[in-house]
Amino acid sequence: MGEKIDTRQLLVVRRIIYLLVALAVIVPYLVKLPLPFAPLEDSRKVFDRVEALPAGSHVLISMDFDPSAEAELRPMANALLAHCFQKGLIPVVMTNWNTGLTLVDGICKEAAGKAGKISGKDWVFLGFRPGFTDLIVNMGENLKGAFTQDYYGKSTQGMGALAGVASLKNIDLIVNVAAGSTVEAWIAYAADRHKIPFAAGTTAVMAPDMYPWLNSGQMAGLLGGLRGAADYELLVRQPGDAAKGMQVQSVSHVLLIVLIVAANIRFFVGRRPAKRGA
Amino acid sequence: MWYKRTIPLLLVFAIGLAAFVQEFVPAHFSGRFREEITMWWRIVGGFGLFIGLYSLLHMHVFRVRRRTPGWGYSLFVFVGALAMVIVGLINEGYGPLIDAPKDVKGWFDWGYDHVMNPCAATIFSILAFFMASAAFRTFRARNLSAALLLAAALVVMFGRVPVSETVGSWFGESSFFPKLADALMKYPNLAAKRGIMLGISLGAIAQSLRILFGIERSYMGGGD
Repeated sequence: MGEKIDTRQLLVVRRIIYLLVALAVIVPYLVKLPLPFAPLEDSRKVFDRVEALPAGSHVLISMDFDPSAEAELRPMANALLAHCFQKGLIPVVMTNWNTGLTLVDGICKEAAGKAGKISGKDWVFLGFRPGFTDLIVNMGENLKGAFTQDYYGKSTQGMGALAGVASLKNIDLIVNVAAGSTVEAWIAYAADRHKIPFAAGTTAVMAPDMYPWLNSGQMAGLLGGLRGAADYELLVRQPGDAAKGMQVQSVSHVLLIVLIVAANIRFFVGRRPAKRGA
Repeated sequence: MWYKRTIPLLLVFAIGLAAFVQEFVPAHFSGRFREEITMWWRIVGGFGLFIGLYSLLHMHVFRVRRRTPGWGYSLFVFVGALAMVIVGLINEGYGPLIDAPKDVKGWFDWGYDHVMNPCAATIFSILAFFMASAAFRTFRARNLSAALLLAAALVVMFGRVPVSETVGSWFGESSFFPKLADALMKYPNLAAKRGIMLGISLGAIAQSLRILFGIERSYMGGGD
């Protein structure tokens, strides 16, 4: 092996890296950097799909995440809701993560409060029901049977926001903002089965898994990670946490690249004499 | 014994076959069957939460009893779970059978907002530090495959952040790195992911058929 680092050296190196990462995260958050960016094509496709819907259309947004993915997905959910409210669309929000209930409730209330929209009339938060695959299948048959009440205890029967929505078949667009495996279920049991346009917003680590769906046309667009969220914020002209986070991500990614390149240079330089001696 | 083996196998075969066939029968009764059966599955699935809770508590009781390394953390599982259960049962004074109004934030929300939320966010955010350290120590171009993987990772990592557009604009093409990263995601990544997905799906179909025809019986327990 080319490199030999003893335990003490390793501890020092690790501490230096931690310090550098901390600085790379904190400093760009406090300082404004001139780093303009254009929205990615896949993000723009999601925006265009929402933009094309006429006012009064129902957009089902399933926010399947909890606080662990909040940094990436909350800005995305905020921007999506803001866009829906701007366009006069009716967001039908739900979550398949019981640990995300309070979080999603907060997101809905914040966005609706800013836009001056009323729960039950202009939007609805259905809450959580267990067993997401079966729930989606069930919603495809009878949405108000699957959710007899919304999160706030109001009956979904006769609810203004759900007027004309008997099942998923009456939904105009499904967007899954997800940190887990719900995307495939939404595609298989809702979008494909009932021919409903579908888009997703996922964490950055999940985004590469989405490309087969994008390529096959089963997914209209993709918001991948914080970048996807920042793109959407830019498109709805409401730059927020994600756009600011792009500065942080730029610096930290560059730092990571520098660290990896430095480690590899060290690896090759260290390996050379060992080869000669062999 | 027939009631322990034959009846469960027949039930699995009948329900499995019915669930499969209804997908290809576009009739009203087929939709009703699907609605009914998914409702049942969701009710049965709800009991899974109790099994999960039992399994979690059992594991931590074991750790505390055996004083395994880090057993003190297991105590926090009981403290946290118990606290949230008590707060949930009190339910802002409404009791466990009546819904408390959701427009007022109570103790349960306080626990979520001020304990669970920051803890979950902290655990995830410290990953950045571990990942940076791990990448520095282990990500090496030891051979051609590793070098290709490393180069692809660097291109995607760089191409996905705005600084790549600034650097690209110095050379007259701001979208060069984002397009390169996109090409890596849309072609080699897509091909690999699609292969993996097809493999998993074929495996799942094969396993489902094994269960349906009673070849695979491990789900019944007893090591059979």
